[in-house]
Amino acid sequence: MVSVPSPTHGAHSVTAVEQPPLPVKLVIAGGFGVGKTTAVGSISEIRPLTTEAAITEVAAGVDDLTHTPGKTTTTVAMDFGCLTIDPTLKLYLFGTPGQDRFGFMWDDVVQGALGGLVIVDTRRLDDCYAAVDYFEHKDIPFAVAVNAFDGEIHHNLDEVRWALDVSEHVPLVVFDARNTGSVRDALLVVLEVALSRAEGTAAG
Amino acid sequence: MAAGEPGPNEAGRSAPGPSEPAGRAPAIRPFLLTAGRVAGGGAGPPLPVETQVVATSSGLGALDSLAFEQHDLVAASRRPQSVAELAAELRLHLNVVRVLAQDLCTAGHLAVHVPNARTTQDISVLRRVIDGLRAVPDSRGTLRDSG
Ligand SMILES: Nc1nc2c(ncn2[C@@H]2O[C@H](COP(=O)(O)OP(=O)(O)OP(=O)(O)O)[C@@H](O)[C@H]2O)c(=O)[nH]1
Ligand SMILES: [Mg+2]
Repeated sequence: MVSVPSPTHGAHSVTAVEQPPLPVKLVIAGGFGVGKTTAVGSISEIRPLTTEAAITEVAAGVDDLTHTPGKTTTTVAMDFGCLTIDPTLKLYLFGTPGQDRFGFMWDDVVQGALGGLVIVDTRRLDDCYAAVDYFEHKDIPFAVAVNAFDGEIHHNLDEVRWALDVSEHVPLVVFDARNTGSVRDALLVVLEVALSRAEGTAAG
Repeated sequence: MAAGEPGPNEAGRSAPGPSEPAGRAPAIRPFLLTAGRVAGGGAGPPLPVETQVVATSSGLGALDSLAFEQHDLVAASRRPQSVAELAAELRLHLNVVRVLAQDLCTAGHLAVHVPNARTTQDISVLRRVIDGLRAVPDSRGTLRDSG
């Protein structure tokens, strides 16, 4: 059952049936159970899908991620969703798991991302270091979103910033991963960072 | 808008829902599927996960002659899909989809649209994404199932 025959393009044998949108992506990262999948589901137009991705695990404390002898490849489940901006532009959201004791090399998924959102649970700040380090190291625009589980954050934002050691130019917001508007606004903060960086590059 | 759009899947397909965990295939299987090659091992970087794949009319015409995963991949690409969506839907490892998609593209059965890396610096694209995201209401109805 071919639902979309394309009369204008059908003549040539290797012509695609339908023109795809330009895909862009944002990455939602953070430690285990911080609300990544919940955040993806809050903004996605489809129920989050899961696929398996190969990632590289690097022992914690290793600074030079490119020349690590002990790195191993692992397969992990990755959640994602999407949002059609218009018929020619589609935003994908990838939720990438993290783990406290390891730094993850997410190049496979993160390469080409417009930016990243690192979700933080203030009860377990340690869990998000890997993601913060990753985005800083890769020089990818990102923001940190504190997930206020049940409306409570266990440290004030200045303490969180200090504990995470993120610089002043990295936005820090409080959000609720279950709330569409809240996730939308957090992602907009990331995109504003990406935009001002792109504008700076264009101007310079 | 997008929310009202029909899902990419035909009703007749029996792809199981994403909520039921997939039975893990043995580790050797992807290797056999791709005739011993794995994506990213050879020339160039692996296809980005958001790469759009769409069947060509030649691919759709050749469906009957394609077997197993190749058949499923072309059939699932009647409408444009990302590599990640295809992997999730067909329950294949991302790297298997990458390799199969590249082979099917070489054979003329699939068109593979690799996004330009410079898009991340494209001010007009960023503005369009921002405007599109701003238009998302504070709360929305139930999500449609895609798989
Ligand atoms: N109260 C409250 N619960 C939340 C919030 N965000 C997520 N949860 C719950 O916390 C649990 C973990 O959320 P997930 O979205 O699965 O977290 P995750 O980061 O995807 O977890 P992993 O993929 O296992 O690392 C789920 O039971 C959610 O329902 C929140 O803002 N408030
Ligand atoms: Mg999850």
